[in-house]
Amino acid sequence: MKFATPRLRYDSLWHLTALGVLTRENMPNTWLPEDVKKPARVAMIDTSVAMDHPNLRPAINQKLAFDLFSTRLGAFPGLVGQSCLGDLGLGTAQGVVAGLPGCQALLDALDARLAPDQAPCIGTIQPATSPVFSGHGTAIAGLIGARPVVVPMAEAYRDDPRDTTLALPYCGVDPTCEIIPISTNFDTDPEQMILAFLYAERIKADVIVLPRGIPDPFRMQPELYAHDLGGRNLGELTAPCPVSDEDRALWAELAELIVKISLRRPIVCAAGNENEEYGIYPANLASEDNGVISVGAVNAKGWACSYSPPSGLTVWAPSTDAESFVEGDVRLDMAQHRDDRHGIPRENNNARFSRFEIISTDVPGQGGYSASPYDSAEPEDGLREFGSFFCRFGGTSAACAIIGGLLALGRGLQKIPANADGVEAKAWLLQNCVTPVANQPNVCVPCLDGIGAFPVDTSS
Amino acid sequence: MVDFAILEHYHFVVTPNDLELEEREILPMTSALTAMRSLALNRNRNRNRNRNRNRNRNRNRNRADPFGKEDSAIQEPWEERARLYALRDEWMDLPVRLPPSLPELRAQALDLLKKQALLSLPQNIGRREEILVEAELELSRYLRPLGIETHGGYDATISLMLTVMALTDEIGLYYKARWNVPRPNQVEPRLRNFLAAPAHASYPSNHAFQSFALAFVISRVIPEHPGSGQLFLSARRIAENREWAGVHYACDTAAGHSLARMILPVLEKVLQKNMLAAQAEWM
Repeated sequence: MKFATPRLRYDSLWHLTALGVLTRENMPNTWLPEDVKKPARVAMIDTSVAMDHPNLRPAINQKLAFDLFSTRLGAFPGLVGQSCLGDLGLGTAQGVVAGLPGCQALLDALDARLAPDQAPCIGTIQPATSPVFSGHGTAIAGLIGARPVVVPMAEAYRDDPRDTTLALPYCGVDPTCEIIPISTNFDTDPEQMILAFLYAERIKADVIVLPRGIPDPFRMQPELYAHDLGGRNLGELTAPCPVSDEDRALWAELAELIVKISLRRPIVCAAGNENEEYGIYPANLASEDNGVISVGAVNAKGWACSYSPPSGLTVWAPSTDAESFVEGDVRLDMAQHRDDRHGIPRENNNARFSRFEIISTDVPGQGGYSASPYDSAEPEDGLREFGSFFCRFGGTSAACAIIGGLLALGRGLQKIPANADGVEAKAWLLQNCVTPVANQPNVCVPCLDGIGAFPVDTSS
Repeated sequence: MVDFAILEHYHFVVTPNDLELEEREILPMTSALTAMRSLALNRNRNRNRNRNRNRNRNRNRNRADPFGKEDSAIQEPWEERARLYALRDEWMDLPVRLPPSLPELRAQALDLLKKQALLSLPQNIGRREEILVEAELELSRYLRPLGIETHGGYDATISLMLTVMALTDEIGLYYKARWNVPRPNQVEPRLRNFLAAPAHASYPSNHAFQSFALAFVISRVIPEHPGSGQLFLSARRIAENREWAGVHYACDTAAGHSLARMILPVLEKVLQKNMLAAQAEWM
């Protein structure tokens, strides 16, 4: 039997069409950038970002970018070289730490750190924000708020002398928003995440995007603590190191803090890529009475991606699909399996698989997900290629960033009132959801126009 | 202001291999796509969906001897050492907390006496074995959380780990020499170390420093790997095992962790090529 493989070609902004943000011609769908009077501010708690990426440079607020990876109380990578912070125009976070003594102590330390006379870096500690290893954050930022731009082409690399410029027609969900990266490491440290959320509160973010999990030993897999083994619970028995009472209290406070902040501003969390029921922590804090939003992924056909459950989350958003070969969901990319078709049951979900992938911004040059063919430093007079500036991306990280961007656009266009809290912002999302596939009634995808354009991938 | 005219005239087309820049031909009522220009068909090494733990990658390339000597053998990292010393000013004076006073060290040694008593109990035989294994350079504790303990094809990742170990060993000795803090058994003679205390000073713990430095470096290389957090727990276990062995105070562990966190930006500069090579193995 022969398989016909149509030549796969699709627009890189297909997800924006699906969400009703752009028309199929990639023009704003029923909105105009001029309608945005006050750009929304997005706090992005993730890895660092390649802040000078041409599509991101207009989106990133470098002055407020904050790094907690290498500096306990944070450093300002965009202010290095400046003698002091000056007035950052911050708000207060006192309202969210009431009854949380550990958070209160950290806020006091953070407030002192953010005083105008403080230096951008503490002592000789440098921020860990090298763009080379900022792939994840760069992709997230691009999905949220990249701008289409035209850039100069480096003279030595022009095929035609008339090619002096190069268009980079890429766009985030909200190309009017302001992104503030809050970069973190992956240590099992409650303090760092508390500080990240407190900073997001102090910068008065309209939306907080958290495209990662938090390694809280008690909340990542809480079921472990319900299993008794000889008088001790399985969580304690399998922990590599005992958690101090102080840290245990801080982890509990962090969970409370996230919910408290979410009541003031929405917190958009990736739900995880392993089909976790109700999502990973802290996405699984989402409930009807808070502003935590757990985000799963759908593919370009509108089906929940194979790694994302079809129920139990707040919303779903477009992302890259993945193959699945397990009981209950055999979903294979048959274009990849022409010669190896053994064991595929007659009843399968192969037709649900979509080959459409999410494209986002990437670290220019050698770092990130797609590498430049050149080893040398980027030329100063312009670009010599654009392939390394973009990458294929996916997972619920991508979906989470897309929802973060949609909330920002909703806020910018005043579809979400300026005084709306996290619960109201979440309600706006839910009011504008569509169900892309009738067979998955719980999978709801918010669309800017409340209609959307699923499916984008119509292949069978 | 956002210039949507750029999107009106150009768009990126995704194909299985490339990202192509196309110029649109604007027609009345519709916009047909014409490939008037297609540029820079770069190799895109990434099929990463930001969700892979690469469990099946290189599954046909098993490591013959996962714990063998081959893992601990790298050429002398002379280039990396040269770069490290070129940046000496950036790492020689990081604000590591000053070591505690002798009375405080004696107080911390009390906790080590408790650990010494507990270590002799039968239920801690596993920890005793761990301590002995970890006394020498051994990578399985770091490879296991990443799921590559028995997998081949991660030579650059392993080489990076070993290079981090080599450089941080040396850096740690500088800091140790600065304060010259006595080992716990010198402060508390009742302490019978499970391991002989090394000849150099106690503060900060090099096992803690090296292990956490490795965790911080790897989490910059593959932050989305589900094992990133577990790598830090492995590092903490290794560091705390040195306390159980009676050769380090808790403050040594904390200082090693703090130094590892602060020095990451410097290591990233020194090891950029190594880290990129390791990253390529996971794409």
